[in-house]
Amino acid sequence: MDIIRIKNLNAGFPTKRGLVRAATSVDLTIREGECLGLIGESGCGKTVLGMTIMRLLQPNTIISGEIFYKGQNLLALKEEEMRKLRGKELGMILQNSTTSLNPVLSVGDQIAEGIILHEGLRKKEAREKATELLEKVQIKNAAVMSKRYPHEFSGGMRERAMIAIALACSPSFVIADEPTTGLDNRTMKGVISLLAEVAKSKSMLFITHDLAAASEICDTIAVMYAGEIVEWGDVDEVFSAPLHPYTSGLLNSLPERGFIAIPGSSPSLIDLPGGCRFKERCACSEERCARAHPLMKEISSSHKVRCHRYD
Amino acid sequence: MEARYLFKRLCYCGLAFIASITIIFLLLHFMPGDYVTFYLLEISRTTPVEVIEHYQHVYGLDQPFLEHYVNYVVAVIQGDWGYSFEYRVPVFPLIGQKLWWTVMIMVPSLILSTIIGAVAGAWSGWKRGTKGDMALLSSMLFFRAIPSYWLAIMGLLVFSCLLGWFPLGGYMSINALFSGYDIFDIIHHAALPILTTTLLSLTGTYYLMRNSMLMTLGEDYITTARAKGLKESVILRKHAARNALLPMVTMIAMQCAHLMAGSIFIETIFSWPGMGMLTFNALNMRDVPLLQGIFLMGALILIAANFAADMVYPLLDPRVEESMHE
Repeated sequence: MDIIRIKNLNAGFPTKRGLVRAATSVDLTIREGECLGLIGESGCGKTVLGMTIMRLLQPNTIISGEIFYKGQNLLALKEEEMRKLRGKELGMILQNSTTSLNPVLSVGDQIAEGIILHEGLRKKEAREKATELLEKVQIKNAAVMSKRYPHEFSGGMRERAMIAIALACSPSFVIADEPTTGLDNRTMKGVISLLAEVAKSKSMLFITHDLAAASEICDTIAVMYAGEIVEWGDVDEVFSAPLHPYTSGLLNSLPERGFIAIPGSSPSLIDLPGGCRFKERCACSEERCARAHPLMKEISSSHKVRCHRYD
Repeated sequence: MEARYLFKRLCYCGLAFIASITIIFLLLHFMPGDYVTFYLLEISRTTPVEVIEHYQHVYGLDQPFLEHYVNYVVAVIQGDWGYSFEYRVPVFPLIGQKLWWTVMIMVPSLILSTIIGAVAGAWSGWKRGTKGDMALLSSMLFFRAIPSYWLAIMGLLVFSCLLGWFPLGGYMSINALFSGYDIFDIIHHAALPILTTTLLSLTGTYYLMRNSMLMTLGEDYITTARAKGLKESVILRKHAARNALLPMVTMIAMQCAHLMAGSIFIETIFSWPGMGMLTFNALNMRDVPLLQGIFLMGALILIAANFAADMVYPLLDPRVEESMHE
């Protein structure tokens, strides 16, 4: 059964210079229990996609399409109905744990807040549960730490606290937005294994540009480029036999695979080129890549790609 | 609270006080004209120079600069703030007595303007860009631009002259001479100055709160709070307003000190016998010891208010407590 089904989703921000098209006709499905890794360069629309599911983008964002969560269209819900789903059914681990925690509230209180709201527990019980959650995300001395403030936490601990906040009311779907960015190697490994643990029992959207982390945690991978999904498939297939030249490029830029950077830079999301959006940087671009916009093509039931080479 | 932090703060306060004495002394020492010349020339244009010099000696106005300064600092530290030339009483009790009248106007104004300003500013920031925010912002801008004396006079004109709701000035009715103090009578007289002062100091608080709120609303932890599914009203109160209030603490302390110095305009227009009016009179008569005392009291209040703000900060912001231990 599908827990999330995104159909023809478009998201754009009106600016003075024009409409920033952060997501263009995105179609994605996440099955119950699946962990989908969303990878791509910074600014390709990954975070926007996550925030659109949560409906946390600023009110002037222009959004069209449908996002079904367990069959109900989130984009058609009233704000109040959506609010009741946030935290309870849909959990989100936001980017940048340093600024995403409130500096003047204790970490325990920040976890307990959601529990008090969604589960109707008393303050004291909610605080006890917050401590349990901190234990669960492997923070040592949880009872003491839950009374401490974010600035007294290390980077890794803050990230774990963010995870605890997202998991507080045991949501069935969790979005993790670059949870390992800015952590040192050892801390990162700890957080990744914690997330892998979480992914076992939950459906998850894992947004990252850390391909190694994605291969460890995810079941499926979606590659995003300039607001579009360009490749989707089973994690092993995508990483061992990538179809899209962009995916190959991403993999080749890994240190262990040669550290070869993709030439050029992503197109501006205000002024998107016609035809294939990757053609300028693509080694195998042909004449038709400039002419026609490639469509998503199903190669097998577990692999799809948006590239003219497979037409 | 860390004892070392407290001690360090107190040392700063002491230093600030010594610096204030020096600056006040310097400024008043070089002010043109003195009490004797002023007073004697008022009596007769042809007062002989010898007479003026004699009285300058009597009043101690001919002391050499350094000697005068040292004498003054020592006396102040011993608690002797001098003797008013004009009122012929010791400066300190005189200021103490006038300060109460100013407090009567300024404390209610401070409380009212802080509450109204903070609430309105928070609301405005929260509703940024809406018609309500714009209307509030423009009306605050309007009041900000009005000079205090004009507002005070207009207040008198409308509410006292035309509507007759409040007395025209003073601090109690003539009846008080027979029936004694009546607290309601005093409140009735204080109402208009309080309202005027509130309106005047409200705008600064409003602006700072609105700005601070706008900054806070862009913070990531507000998004975190939304992602938890919290109600907007809870986010406003618990997450946004509390953080936005932090820069307000210093501002309130400063405003408190500023208001306690009294407003010369407000008190003169409403004939209110507070610090502002005392300053006005002392300045008119070149009553240097009294002026020194008044400014010194202002400095003391400012230092005390700052100290209080320093003590309150760690209670509101846990990050400050951390730096206290360092």
